[in-house]
Amino acid sequence: MNPIAAGVLTIVMIAAVALFGRRAELIYRLIRKGKPVARFDDIAGRARAEAVVVIGQSKLLQRMVPGLMHAAIFWGFIALLPTIFIAMIGIVDQHATLPWLGRQGWYALLVDVFAAVVLAGVITAFVIRKVQRPRRFAGSHMREADLILALIAGIVISLFLWHASQIALGLNEYPAAWAPISSLVAQGLHHSWTPYLERGAVWAHVLLILGFLVYLPYSKHLHIFLAAVNVFFGRTRARGRLEPINFEAPMDADVRFGAATAADLTWKQVLDTVSCTECGRCQDVCPAFNTGKELSPKLLIMGLRDQLLSGATAPLVPNAVTDNVVWDCVTCGACVRECPVGIEHIDHIVDLRRNLVMVESRFPDEAATMLRDVDRAGNPWGKPQSDRAHWADGLGVRVLDAGEPAPDVLFWVGCAPSFDERAKQAAISTAKLLKEAAVDFAILGPLESCTGDPARRMGDEYTFQKQAKQNVSTLNEAKVKKIVTTCPHCFNTIGNEYADFGGRYEVVHHTEFLAELVREGKLKTLAGDRTITYHDSCYLARHNDVRDAPRELAAAAGRAVEMPRNRERTFCCGAGGARMWMEERRGRPINEERVREAAGTGAETLAVACPFCTVMLDDGVRTTGAKLQVIDLATLLSEAVERRRARDSAVSTTDG
Amino acid sequence: MTATALVLMEEGEPSEQAAFFARGWGDGTVHSVGVDAIKPYAPDAIAAILQRAADDLKAVAVLAAGTDRGNDVMARLAARTGLPFAANIVAADPADAIEVTRQRWGGSLLENAILISDRPLVTVAPYAVKAGNWPGPIAVDVKRYIAELDPRDMVVQVKEHIDPPGGGVSLAEAKVVVSGGRGVGSKEGFAIIEELAGLLGGRVGCSRVVTSAGWRPHTDQVGQTGTKISPDIYIACGISGATQHMAGCKGAKRILAINADAEAPIMSLADYAVVGDLKEVVPAISAEIRKNK
Amino acid sequence: MRVLVCVKRVPFTGGKMVLTADSMALETRHLGFTISPHEECGVEEAVRLIEANGGESVVLTLGPPEAAEQLRDAMALGIDRAIHLQTDGQEWDAQATSSAIAEAVRADESASGPFDLIVFGNESADAGGYQVGLRVAYALGRPCATGLKGVKVEGLTVRCEQDVGGGRDVYALPLPAIVTVKEGLNLPRYPSVPGRMRAARKPVATSNPARPESQLQLIRLTVPGGSGRQTKLLGTGPSAAPAVVGMLREIGVA
Repeated sequence: MNPIAAGVLTIVMIAAVALFGRRAELIYRLIRKGKPVARFDDIAGRARAEAVVVIGQSKLLQRMVPGLMHAAIFWGFIALLPTIFIAMIGIVDQHATLPWLGRQGWYALLVDVFAAVVLAGVITAFVIRKVQRPRRFAGSHMREADLILALIAGIVISLFLWHASQIALGLNEYPAAWAPISSLVAQGLHHSWTPYLERGAVWAHVLLILGFLVYLPYSKHLHIFLAAVNVFFGRTRARGRLEPINFEAPMDADVRFGAATAADLTWKQVLDTVSCTECGRCQDVCPAFNTGKELSPKLLIMGLRDQLLSGATAPLVPNAVTDNVVWDCVTCGACVRECPVGIEHIDHIVDLRRNLVMVESRFPDEAATMLRDVDRAGNPWGKPQSDRAHWADGLGVRVLDAGEPAPDVLFWVGCAPSFDERAKQAAISTAKLLKEAAVDFAILGPLESCTGDPARRMGDEYTFQKQAKQNVSTLNEAKVKKIVTTCPHCFNTIGNEYADFGGRYEVVHHTEFLAELVREGKLKTLAGDRTITYHDSCYLARHNDVRDAPRELAAAAGRAVEMPRNRERTFCCGAGGARMWMEERRGRPINEERVREAAGTGAETLAVACPFCTVMLDDGVRTTGAKLQVIDLATLLSEAVERRRARDSAVSTTDG
Repeated sequence: MTATALVLMEEGEPSEQAAFFARGWGDGTVHSVGVDAIKPYAPDAIAAILQRAADDLKAVAVLAAGTDRGNDVMARLAARTGLPFAANIVAADPADAIEVTRQRWGGSLLENAILISDRPLVTVAPYAVKAGNWPGPIAVDVKRYIAELDPRDMVVQVKEHIDPPGGGVSLAEAKVVVSGGRGVGSKEGFAIIEELAGLLGGRVGCSRVVTSAGWRPHTDQVGQTGTKISPDIYIACGISGATQHMAGCKGAKRILAINADAEAPIMSLADYAVVGDLKEVVPAISAEIRKNK
Repeated sequence: MRVLVCVKRVPFTGGKMVLTADSMALETRHLGFTISPHEECGVEEAVRLIEANGGESVVLTLGPPEAAEQLRDAMALGIDRAIHLQTDGQEWDAQATSSAIAEAVRADESASGPFDLIVFGNESADAGGYQVGLRVAYALGRPCATGLKGVKVEGLTVRCEQDVGGGRDVYALPLPAIVTVKEGLNLPRYPSVPGRMRAARKPVATSNPARPESQLQLIRLTVPGGSGRQTKLLGTGPSAAPAVVGMLREIGVA
């Protein structure tokens, strides 16, 4: 037992913990000062997310090499955690170690293996960063990362050197045979200076770890502690639901809607910003960033973090984040899905928008008309509501009157299929198929009013809530239980967001409903010879996990091929986040990007399940001249049903 | 006893139409007072002159064209005399209680109303009536009325005129107007519209959606709350034909609609239609014009 | 400075006219309402004038109880208080409307001082009578310029700009004056939510004037038939170009 060593170690530890604690306390206070938000439901789901995303490293492992690299370091850290204490004991008493664990051969093997794995991971990380140089790191703090990697390398190398010199000196409490790598290194360490190496290595090891501890809260490596916490508090259910604002709460004179300054962020948003590791995976999948817009979700979070930590009280827009960045976002959720530490970028963007729209009235002019039209006309184009059921003329579709009780299924059409020439086709096909399958359904016609989704995504929560309350009132008066809708935005809003306003219904997307009818045999199909590639809508595939039903329909209609970015990794059409009503002024058009990807599959039919995707992708086909036909799945299914009927009647006539 | 109708005359077709319409009042004699009696323009003074002349002539009715100036002066005449005024009528049945049919919503809706007045004051909606051939109204000599004008009636008068920037014919006077609507898609998209307008020596117009989106200034807007135009040909590209827009181009002698949607309202309200994407059709028309130049 | 702006509640028709069964009014069951477009610019102009010069702005409407919504909308943009001449929903003709407004203005001015400027829309979107502003001006004995696209208060006069065929005509009226304005005067701001909340608490003075006999009595409304034009389809797509140019040549334009 070395009292001097113990004394020095104690002092150093106290100093390190104090320095760490001071900074950690600052960050903790920042998080606690954040505005409230309820994230304490569904504990089971949260625990599951921890297991899969954090322990299982699921999001990182989507990219095999970087994923394994990080998993190596992460699992290595966990496995090697007890060695910190073993080393500290070893400083104080060369001959002591952790009771029981320090003597276990299997643990010595574990340590050796994982230390090597961590080292391999660090080397791989350096190769990725210095040789491969992926674009996702553009804008990240590279030197910070280098320092951290160097520290980790130093920690494991010093561990190896310590174990090796222990073995060479016979000081090991564990059987040396169980530590193959350390033993191998030990063979070259039979020198006079080995004892000094042994002391030096253990001190270096502990000092590097303590240095690492102190550096943690001042760097992006803070994510080691916070990532697990942030993932725990992420949304597990109703991922497409935004947090409502309570306009009826008593307001003080200083009214806050959304986020004007750093003080307006919720604790989850603060936690988000300090969890960011600047990995850039979000940036890599962002449709805006990848088409030359200013928005990078990574830089957005970093900008907010920097302003938050600096304590500045200046408005977030334009000081931490520019106006362009706020409006570039299509709320597709690709960033949220990719983020390994559970950052929810959309909440930040929407809160910034809420302040810009509702308090400062500072937003793209062209969207003002849309907002006014939703408010006054009940649809974003200012078209007459009395015309809302015109698309159904001649189809024999039942239109409900005010107060009339609804049948089994309410077909919620949506503004776009009601009024837009191209989007109407999906509604027409769906209505025909529902009739064919003898489903008892009706539409609301002029009583159906915009769900308010474009207003909400713009940040105009006020107009959204007016629409929500009105629609919930209409739906509840008609005693609606089950809703089928052709529009994924209506699907998301009514299904996930209307519950906050007293509207609880079973909401199903038309592809899901139609797929079930096919499965039940109520609609019989015959596949044709179209080669079909299906474009997953963001609000279906990502926000709401509807990915299989549309594929069943595509397969029933023809030969299906997948685009590279499919299912939950789908690439947005560009209309989300109310961008349908905003000018795309910079970079390349998002819809053309996606059309090129679709054309690249060789398919000649581009199947869609959303009226906005229909319009955007059809526009994209026209401007790029691609040889693609954009058709809704309901229409393709309709064709398949017709084909089957034609074949069956041909067969029966030849039979007769 | 003369049963003459008195008409306020300005330059332009609508004024001639109003005078022609006036022949249906009284015994068919029509007198006129020119808006240019006071130069450049002093509406209260002109209303004062009209009032004196109507009294002297014992006019059966006073009419004007439903132009900005016509409505302006007639409303002042109505205010000074306390008489009712029906603006923008398209038909009238002069009887004891006169029934007029007048325009609401820029002409999208018609109102039948009874005008209870000894001297009906009306303006005639432009382009609602076809003016036929006839000798024309008898001009009233206004010199003595001008000499006796009250200075208070000269407070509201035009002091200055600002010429339009860039010169050229204004949208309201252009003989050819080529307009773009939502279908044009963007500010830059208007290049093809400008090209065609240029080739035809006309002006560019647009719908309200376009000005709200900031693609064109409000001065280009054709419609109920924008400019009312009366060209020889109005080419409407990517415009659906909402009634507020149609209210602004009713005066066009001919309307050509180019739209991808065959069911758009304008496609059955125009004289000629082309179904197609304006981004392809408009350049094709420009190319065709160049071909034979 | 004191400014009054007068507004009217009109339906937001989306361009389609549907009448009630008795053809006496528009069917408003599925319609939202708004301030008539010219007047929205009037409200914005009034707010800007008080922002620049200090003082008080007031909004006034003659309309049914529901018209209070339009008053709150105007106050959400920044108007300080409102006057509501409440009707039972029946239509008032232009003369009746004007005399009620003139009466209300006199009452307010005797209590709070004269309005430097009173702003009207040139004509309301629905009835389009083109006369209310002028009648009020004559009743109050104040000068009035109409159809304005530019309004600028310069000391004791207001410089008024009016679009005419080629360019603009300019008037200079001594205050107190009355102006009627047209859309295009300015671009109205989008109301902020704090503005809306403040508007909910701003004062509205309500009265119920008696409706005088009308001298322009509504008998019925009708939706006019088609434009009377027979549409000739010249073709589909770019291949229609020759037919189009042929027509343009015929009328002497190309």
